[in-house]
Amino acid sequence: MKGTDRLRRLASYAFFAAFAIAAVSCNEAHPNTTLVPHSDFGREIDFLWNRLLLLGTIVFVLVEGALIFIVIKYRRRENQPTPPQTHGSTMLEITWTLIPAVILVFIAVPTVRTIFITQAQAAPGSLNIEVTGHQWWWEFKYPEYGVTTANEIYLPVGRTVNFRLRSADVIHSFWTPQLGGKRDVVTNRTNYLWYTPDSSTASSVWNGFCVEYCGASHANMRFRVFTVTPEQFTSWVAGQKLPAQFGAVATAAPARGPNPPPPPGSAPGYIFPREKIPDYAVPHSPIPPDLKFTPGLTGNAARGKQVFSGAACIGCHSIAGNPIAMGVLGPNLTHVGSRSTIAAGRFPMAAAYLALWIKNARKMKPEVLMPTLGLDEYDPVLKAKVTAATGGLTDQQIADIVAYLTALK
Amino acid sequence: MTAPAARIHVAHTSAPAPHHYTTLGLDSRKVAIWAFIGSECMLFVSLISTYLIYKGRSVVGPFPHETWTDPTTGHVLKPILNIPVTSASTFVLLMSSLFMVLALAAVQNKEKPKHSRGDRILGNSKLWLWMTAIAGTTFLGFQAFEFTSFVHEGLTIRTNLFGSSFFTLTGFHGAHVTAGVLWLVTLLAIDYRRGLGSRDSLLVDIAALYWHFVDVIWIVIFTLVYLIK
Amino acid sequence: MATTAISTPAYRGEYSGEQSGLWSWLSTVDHKRIGILYLYTALFFFMFGGVEALILRAQLGAPNQHLVSAEFYNQLFTMHGTTMIFLAIMPLSAAFFNFLIPLQIGARDVAFPRLNAFSYWVYLFGGIFITVPILFAVAPNGGWFGYAPLTTKPYSPGINIDFWVIGLQILGVSSLAAAFNFLTTIINLRAPGMTLMRMPMFTWMAFVVQFLLVLAFPVITIALVFLLFDRFFGTNFYNTVSAGADPLLWQHLFWIFGHPEVYILVLPAFGLVSEVLPTYSRKPLFGYPVMVYSGILIAALGFGVWAHHMFAVGMGPIADTFFGLTTMLIAIPTGVKIFNWIATMAQGAIRYTTSMLFGIGLVGLFTIGGISGIMHSSPPADLQQTDTYFIVAHFHYVLFGGSIMGIFAGIYHYFPKIQGRLMDEKLGKIHFWLTFIAMNLTFFPMHFSGMLGMPRRIYTYDAGQGWDLYNAMSTAGAMIFPIAMLIFIYNFFKSRKSGEIAGSNPWGAGTLEWSIPSPPPDYNFAKIPTVTSRYPLWEGKEVDHESARINSQEGKTAAELGIVMPYNTIKPLLVALGLIIMFCGLMTTPILIAAGAALLVFSLYSWLLSPLEPEHH
Repeated sequence: MKGTDRLRRLASYAFFAAFAIAAVSCNEAHPNTTLVPHSDFGREIDFLWNRLLLLGTIVFVLVEGALIFIVIKYRRRENQPTPPQTHGSTMLEITWTLIPAVILVFIAVPTVRTIFITQAQAAPGSLNIEVTGHQWWWEFKYPEYGVTTANEIYLPVGRTVNFRLRSADVIHSFWTPQLGGKRDVVTNRTNYLWYTPDSSTASSVWNGFCVEYCGASHANMRFRVFTVTPEQFTSWVAGQKLPAQFGAVATAAPARGPNPPPPPGSAPGYIFPREKIPDYAVPHSPIPPDLKFTPGLTGNAARGKQVFSGAACIGCHSIAGNPIAMGVLGPNLTHVGSRSTIAAGRFPMAAAYLALWIKNARKMKPEVLMPTLGLDEYDPVLKAKVTAATGGLTDQQIADIVAYLTALK
Repeated sequence: MTAPAARIHVAHTSAPAPHHYTTLGLDSRKVAIWAFIGSECMLFVSLISTYLIYKGRSVVGPFPHETWTDPTTGHVLKPILNIPVTSASTFVLLMSSLFMVLALAAVQNKEKPKHSRGDRILGNSKLWLWMTAIAGTTFLGFQAFEFTSFVHEGLTIRTNLFGSSFFTLTGFHGAHVTAGVLWLVTLLAIDYRRGLGSRDSLLVDIAALYWHFVDVIWIVIFTLVYLIK
Repeated sequence: MATTAISTPAYRGEYSGEQSGLWSWLSTVDHKRIGILYLYTALFFFMFGGVEALILRAQLGAPNQHLVSAEFYNQLFTMHGTTMIFLAIMPLSAAFFNFLIPLQIGARDVAFPRLNAFSYWVYLFGGIFITVPILFAVAPNGGWFGYAPLTTKPYSPGINIDFWVIGLQILGVSSLAAAFNFLTTIINLRAPGMTLMRMPMFTWMAFVVQFLLVLAFPVITIALVFLLFDRFFGTNFYNTVSAGADPLLWQHLFWIFGHPEVYILVLPAFGLVSEVLPTYSRKPLFGYPVMVYSGILIAALGFGVWAHHMFAVGMGPIADTFFGLTTMLIAIPTGVKIFNWIATMAQGAIRYTTSMLFGIGLVGLFTIGGISGIMHSSPPADLQQTDTYFIVAHFHYVLFGGSIMGIFAGIYHYFPKIQGRLMDEKLGKIHFWLTFIAMNLTFFPMHFSGMLGMPRRIYTYDAGQGWDLYNAMSTAGAMIFPIAMLIFIYNFFKSRKSGEIAGSNPWGAGTLEWSIPSPPPDYNFAKIPTVTSRYPLWEGKEVDHESARINSQEGKTAAELGIVMPYNTIKPLLVALGLIIMFCGLMTTPILIAAGAALLVFSLYSWLLSPLEPEHH
């Protein structure tokens, strides 16, 4: 292993020395770096990458060095006679055919090894997660636990997770750069991807991305991965398995105002504490300047549940515990209040954003399938204003829905 | 009517005249037709590969070689390919290649003396060009019949993966045969206007190469699509 | 001849000696003039694609910017790729194919001059067809790779993708027609003594590229036909919704074309540089036979590596291994080329002309693209790289650092042959250094943004992702390009008018095209030369010098020399127009299809049944 370490160190030196600007590739400055792996899969790739980088740097220095040296040394001088008219050299040709070939052997052998290691079947006892890519959000199902969530995954550290990747529409690609390589989510096919988050990653948040162009809002198809301790994971699962906890919570502490403080201890299971989520995992997307919401409205969660159940919402969204909400086109909202983001990582989960989102999602996220619901709002896809007849909601109704949804911990 | 005649009259002179130097000593059009055929091979390879990749992957029938029961109606659809009829059309197309060979020989030997009735029949370029064109048209007729009967039996280009890849593949081939027939008719028109002679053998030679190519492609299609289950 | 000679043609056909006026350009069949048309048109599209790129970079200059909408951004990046590949780099190469191949092999023209004109007009009309929609924000938006099922009707119901499918189909016709023409020209119109192994390296690489075009374009044609049928006639090739289609069919077909396409884009530049480096080193190309074989090998292997664009789709370990290893193999002949170029310069007498600087730039920058290419030939490593900005960095080092640098080297090198005047070297060098700086400032940081996790094809990104600095650098670099291009354009047009008179061989080069006047007469060679060497002007025998002496004389017309020249004709343009009208009809009304078809058939028959050139006496 010593040789490997030295190789890695050399590669790092070469990289950092040549490009001082990238010197700090720690998590804080580069939260999505592929160069600091945090899983077995990531390390396998990183080993190859370091070797590629080392050999590539050597070749780069030698070739560019030779080029610059020769270009300077053999510049034409005054009154220089015609240079020697050499046509070639078989020895040289053989040499510079063989040297790259030998270098490639040192790349090819570990490459093939790694291909077969990383594409083997996941170890038995792995945590299965069914991933479904939608335009433009992620659906995650934990079949063993009967838990469905959207755009956020909780993973226990140290346990292999096996993602089963399927698409509901076009091709997407599932990627958590810090935890390993990507795998496409291909229509009419099932792909697999597995890795084991390092134990050292407990209580961490990782960004995930869709990396196959999938249409207008491809850039807005992000997700979050929370790596937690096995105990926290168990607690989280227990909470998520329960139907929506709204009833009890609502009567005990009705949500107040567009941005109610989260009632302490209201969530039945573990939820990654919002205040501990690092800045890179908190969305900063700007709100469209022309989208306004009546200030000072107070939402009523019980009323919100009624409005929700009578509005277009139920056509697409499910909420376990609300028997009328059984739609499957949009994200499952059973515990939407426990999530940290909405709109596939585009906005933080907070009443102010949620209200605008419900009012005019298509202004918040280009071409999103969720229709515009705010009364008198212009729907950029339908190119028409929403009226009461087409199910438009007043700001007060939206505030009520927001109160309802944020209470779904 | 003199103007068109004049045009056709000069037609064969549009070839680079012999004194234009060429590396191979061949007319450039002969070289180009081979490049074209190479390209066409890739075209049909793509079409045939797609057909084979999608073979057996259709969600609904009808299927080429298997019966299919519609789960909703209980309707039973028989295998759709009619191999005896297509064998006949394949035979006709094969014969057209033979006629094409005879047509080319007739043009090449136009100026040679004809001693017998047999010589005169073999040397009749119009006859063999007609025969080739008719055989090609007959093949197209078979194809039209086949397509119509498939549509009647419920297979269109939109029905399933088989329908899409089958109609596109054979349709592309049919389009090539159609182009070939038009080419032959053009040669016939020239033959009637001013007579094709040995100096024109290149024109017929190129058309023949194309015709044989289209024929060979059909043999491949017939084998892979019709014969192999 | 058995038939009567016809000295006066029965239709409007002019002796091609006419060299001015709009009509002469519309009806020209002269390979040099068609080359010039290609050059100007492609440079225009190159700048158009560049402006698209500038908008892309402006949007990405900082996180969460919204200079353009997501929808328009997606159109822009789709059209940037499509424009640069199909409307800029390929036609720029075609400009050189046209202008140079006959001159380098000692021919009077290409094998089929009228087909050559046809290729150009189809390219021009197709280019306009696919470009105009962006002015109305209805441009194709599925990426230059157009992955199904995103590009199928259920997911892209608008007309955007229709423009793309049909536009590429049209451009394919142009490329294929040109490829048959050049392939035949190189095989069949080489001057006496110009054996394959004496051909200039540019013509060799052009030869290889024509094989790639002839074999790769039918595959994309079929892939596009399927998509076209799916969108217009409801077939199921990519219908993943109800017919169970496999979207990987598109990817395989596309990349079987798409990877050879990469070599179609870069090999002509390799050829140009293989002319430039020997000239300004005053040394023959080092290892000529090896350069030939490596070019052939690159092309041949290029058909066996397509799925390395698909390592993330889950093809399984066996396929990944196969395509990973074949991809690595390509590095060997590519490396050999770079080493031979460096060896060509070694021991030479290097002149730092602008052309040479661009040539050296290609060697240096393409090396970087080659090395990053090896990095994603390893499938597991690629899983961290593919679809990130690392890939964007890689292929811009290949296509800008390789193709564009080589093409600029070619433009500065051959401008005096084309225009008869030299370009301004001082402005040229400013152009080079600005381009070189801009190129590296724009694309090198993309290696970092990619490895730091930035996906491709995103119209915006969030703050705090660790990408801000690198994106700011890329955007700053991109803003230098327009300055460099303006200097180039100014230099180009100024030198055309008032540059120094070049003479037949201003650079002291060794190949045939430099043995004739600049600009060359319409007939190219007064006497078809006899060739005994790879560099007839450097190391030729008496017979080479004799040909050169005759051919360098200026002022004689073809008529005086008794050389028969082809008629000018408008018919290829009309056929191309008919083709375009047909395709426009596909998007609008069947009446147009019929009108286009009628024009096409009528002009085509009229073309085929009319003589190329006057009868010889």
